[in-house]
Amino acid sequence: MMKFTKRYLSFVLIGLVMLVCGVQGSGLSASTAYLLEKVAISIILAVSLGLVVGFLGELSLGHAAFMCVGAYLGGKVSQLIVEALGGSQHDSNFLVLILSLVIGAASAGLCGFIIGLPALRLKGDYLAIVTLAFGEIVRVIFTNANVFGGAQGMATPRFDRKYLFIIGLALVLATIAIVQNLLRSKHGRAITAIRDNEIAARATGINVTKYKLTVFAVSSALAGVAGVLYSYANFNLQPSKFGYNYSIEILVMVVLGGMGSINGSIIAATLITYLNTKLPLILTGELAVLQNLFYALILILLIIYNNAPALKGFREKYNFKNLWNKLFKPKHDPARVRDDAARWDVVPTKIEMNEVLSTDVVIDNFGDNSADIGERGGNK
Amino acid sequence: MKKTITKIICLALACVMAVGCFASCSGDKEEFVIGVSGPVTGVAAVYGEAVRNAAQMAVDEINANGGLNGVNFKLVFLDDKHDAGNISTNYASLVEQGMQVSLGTVTTAPGREFTKYSAQDNVFFLTPSATGDDIPGTAGNGYQMCFADGDQGKVAAEYVNGLFTGNKTIGILYNSADPYSSGIYTQFKASLASNITTIDAAFTDDKLADFSGQISQLASCDFIFMPIYYTPASTFMKQAKDIIAPNATYYGCDGLDGIDGSIDGFNISEIPQEISMLSHFNSKATEGAAKTFIDNYVAKYGKDTLSQFGAAAYDCVYAIYGAMKSAIDGGKEIPSDISASELCDILKAEFNGGYTYSGVTGSNITWGTNGKVQKNAVKYIVKAANAQ
Amino acid sequence: MNFITNLIGGLSLGGIYAMIALGYTMVYGIAKMLNFAHGDIIMVGGYTILVFTAQSVHPLIAIALAIVFCVGLGVVVERVAYKPLRGASPLAVLITAIGVSYLLQSLAQMFFGSGTKMVTGLDLGSFNIGSLKISVSTIVTLLSCIAVMVALNLFVKYTKTGRAMIAVSEDKGAAQLMGINVNLIIMITFAIGSALAALAGTFYLMRSPSIYSTFGSLPGIKAFSAAVIGGIGSIPGAMLGGILLGVVEVFANSVSAIAPYTDAIEFAILIIILLVKPTGFLGKKRREKV
Repeated sequence: MMKFTKRYLSFVLIGLVMLVCGVQGSGLSASTAYLLEKVAISIILAVSLGLVVGFLGELSLGHAAFMCVGAYLGGKVSQLIVEALGGSQHDSNFLVLILSLVIGAASAGLCGFIIGLPALRLKGDYLAIVTLAFGEIVRVIFTNANVFGGAQGMATPRFDRKYLFIIGLALVLATIAIVQNLLRSKHGRAITAIRDNEIAARATGINVTKYKLTVFAVSSALAGVAGVLYSYANFNLQPSKFGYNYSIEILVMVVLGGMGSINGSIIAATLITYLNTKLPLILTGELAVLQNLFYALILILLIIYNNAPALKGFREKYNFKNLWNKLFKPKHDPARVRDDAARWDVVPTKIEMNEVLSTDVVIDNFGDNSADIGERGGNK
Repeated sequence: MKKTITKIICLALACVMAVGCFASCSGDKEEFVIGVSGPVTGVAAVYGEAVRNAAQMAVDEINANGGLNGVNFKLVFLDDKHDAGNISTNYASLVEQGMQVSLGTVTTAPGREFTKYSAQDNVFFLTPSATGDDIPGTAGNGYQMCFADGDQGKVAAEYVNGLFTGNKTIGILYNSADPYSSGIYTQFKASLASNITTIDAAFTDDKLADFSGQISQLASCDFIFMPIYYTPASTFMKQAKDIIAPNATYYGCDGLDGIDGSIDGFNISEIPQEISMLSHFNSKATEGAAKTFIDNYVAKYGKDTLSQFGAAAYDCVYAIYGAMKSAIDGGKEIPSDISASELCDILKAEFNGGYTYSGVTGSNITWGTNGKVQKNAVKYIVKAANAQ
Repeated sequence: MNFITNLIGGLSLGGIYAMIALGYTMVYGIAKMLNFAHGDIIMVGGYTILVFTAQSVHPLIAIALAIVFCVGLGVVVERVAYKPLRGASPLAVLITAIGVSYLLQSLAQMFFGSGTKMVTGLDLGSFNIGSLKISVSTIVTLLSCIAVMVALNLFVKYTKTGRAMIAVSEDKGAAQLMGINVNLIIMITFAIGSALAALAGTFYLMRSPSIYSTFGSLPGIKAFSAAVIGGIGSIPGAMLGGILLGVVEVFANSVSAIAPYTDAIEFAILIIILLVKPTGFLGKKRREKV
């Protein structure tokens, strides 16, 4: 049961939303439909970035650039096809949509592969700044490319807008399926092994190069899909949209949702997108400036609450799971052994190999090396 | 599972938000709703604030004078952060909040989205400051109070062509990443006479704090065309004041308005060069409707955000009000719960049927069927060159 | 002629980048965190100067007050936002820093409005060498940048606190065992970084006096790139990277065909340098243990 909820809950929920909203069809208010499109885009972006950040353990600050490539190339291709077929822009049909999705994913995936190459040589924050730099370069190139409309932006392909959110949610399901299947296979184990310790992984015969490039390519291809979806959800593409600020927004979703948790990414992406869309409706007039203030404060407090080592005891004592157990499972069944396979998606921290192999020292009041041996042993 | 409390908190917050939304959605329909989307946070916030303030001021004035035959107006302004991606939901929310007529958007990039959505629903909009050539759209529901980029570029080029007869090299300072600036730039270059060559200095960020590369490029020019907003222009002028010849002329478009006075601490008399612009409004106007507007605006909101953005927004509200009034005088009925589409048809007939409006940004303003404004662009000399 | 003008412009801009990068590199080297809010400390420094010069306080006193205020702010931010997360994942700290950055920006917009403001009284004028016009602020920027770099280097190498900083950056646990108050050292680092940010803000305003709420974010990113180019954690490296980026930026901006691509060129240089030397020009290579 636990296993099922962990793996398939998101599918069921998203499927339900699709069904309910799809049945309602034209009865659905436009703002809800548009919001669902936005949420779908955010979820795809967050889940795909989570693959790189949460599971491969590499920091990427250029995710919006892959989306940009997908949006522009996917959009351009479908435009060209429609023109070649002699139709106007409004005739974009399902087949063209599929084709532009494929092209967008492929082109973004190729870019991801290319940016994955330095990832083989660079580590941590150095890689982060390279991805940021790459993102800015992509933005500048599209700003100056007259083929794509330059600073004026590019007109995008069209699809029946009423049902775009259903396609968006279907793409979300596909994204989650792809990512989950990749991670649950032996390849997924290899990827998390690389995250936990690259040298040790290499020593056990894992082809680090192959996996790093694969993860970068898959993640950016999915971002490209989100880009194509974005281009269908808007009438006009502006390169300025895809700056590093947007990449950071996606990263915030991933981190807030919990590193290495797909469900967490989905929830965080949904909530942040929802808040970003609805806050301007509430904080109007002179209060508008409070939007960012609230956003920043909530962000800081949540991150500190979720991550501060000092609050660990508090978090473990008062959490949703305990509450759930207290309310619905009065007796904790000791026979229920924790299923290791069910824990594949929650590996909260990196294991420092050199700490495992050496004696750890307990030092008061200081976080970094304070974990004692008993606890570490218990984790394994 | 440690993230769960987070999730609960978030959910609770979301519920609060949802409730808040529903609360704000409901309202009785005893007034005309004007919708507008613009940036009041982020990099372009100052322009959105100008529009919000001035439009609100106009609405308040109209309501204080009894509204339109007793029916008041209500302004709904939503923040789009200068991001076109926010328009889909903003537009839908405006419609759901009962928008019957609109001021479109404040800036061009989101405006392109707004044009398409409003064309689908046949919602009339008159934008104060989205200057893109294609903003009015082809459906006939969109109108501009400002000059379109292409027209500005063309008129500016004609002015420059008339200025120099022999061979001449002029400088251009423009923002290559900004639709407004690059739009004017492209048309200006295309309309320039062949005896005039240009040195083009581009920059890519209105918030760029350093212009030394561009200044060294333009150092030899004594006429510099700058189709940019007043914020980067002030930075440029301050940095260039000792390097560019003191008898040079800076010539800009309507974006330059606000250079004198809207920037705290920027003393225009420190700049030795001549500053002039082709615009429909001058923040330093000393007479007429513009003067009244400026006095009222500054008294209410301060001079920080005073610029042609606000002036145009003020005019937009009054132009729509005037057109509705003229339609009623002409025998049409406009009940307070009229649908956006019906109102659009009435206003379209007015705007295409010889309606003229006189206000802050010009007098005897008319509109073409393509939605472009027809009024006099005046060359304002903001500041003459200092006598050396 | 143009070349020399551009070079001087580039050196002076580079000096500002270097000053910011020095702060970045200090904080990164010791606290091991990307302080995305560093650029916004510059902005706060700028607004502090604006407030005091508007009260017609002498500019020098205003600058001193700005430094004091920024040091206080830096220490408070470190205590409230970063210290609780010591020992948590570096990403959590990064996101907190981003949160602090948003917070400072929106506070600035609330207090000072969204419009651009100009600081007066920081203009030091200029002098001529032949037909070459050099502004005094350029000289001041470069000289103080070099002075700060030398002072920092000496401070880190020869004072007790400085040595303690090196120890903390090498191994926090061992430093703790040696009787070093790690929390205090990290706090001092943030104080120094914030003071440098305030100074950088001052030099920025001398060059072009406009200030607005997102004033620090772009220079922040550029200076971060500079720190990485020079090798993060290395003090001379930050200087080198900053000067390089400043010069490249001004030269790229001075050619009309490539000016629209300036940012791309700067970032491309960063990528190329990192590909050739993965730890930057002067960065230390660290051997990874298993």
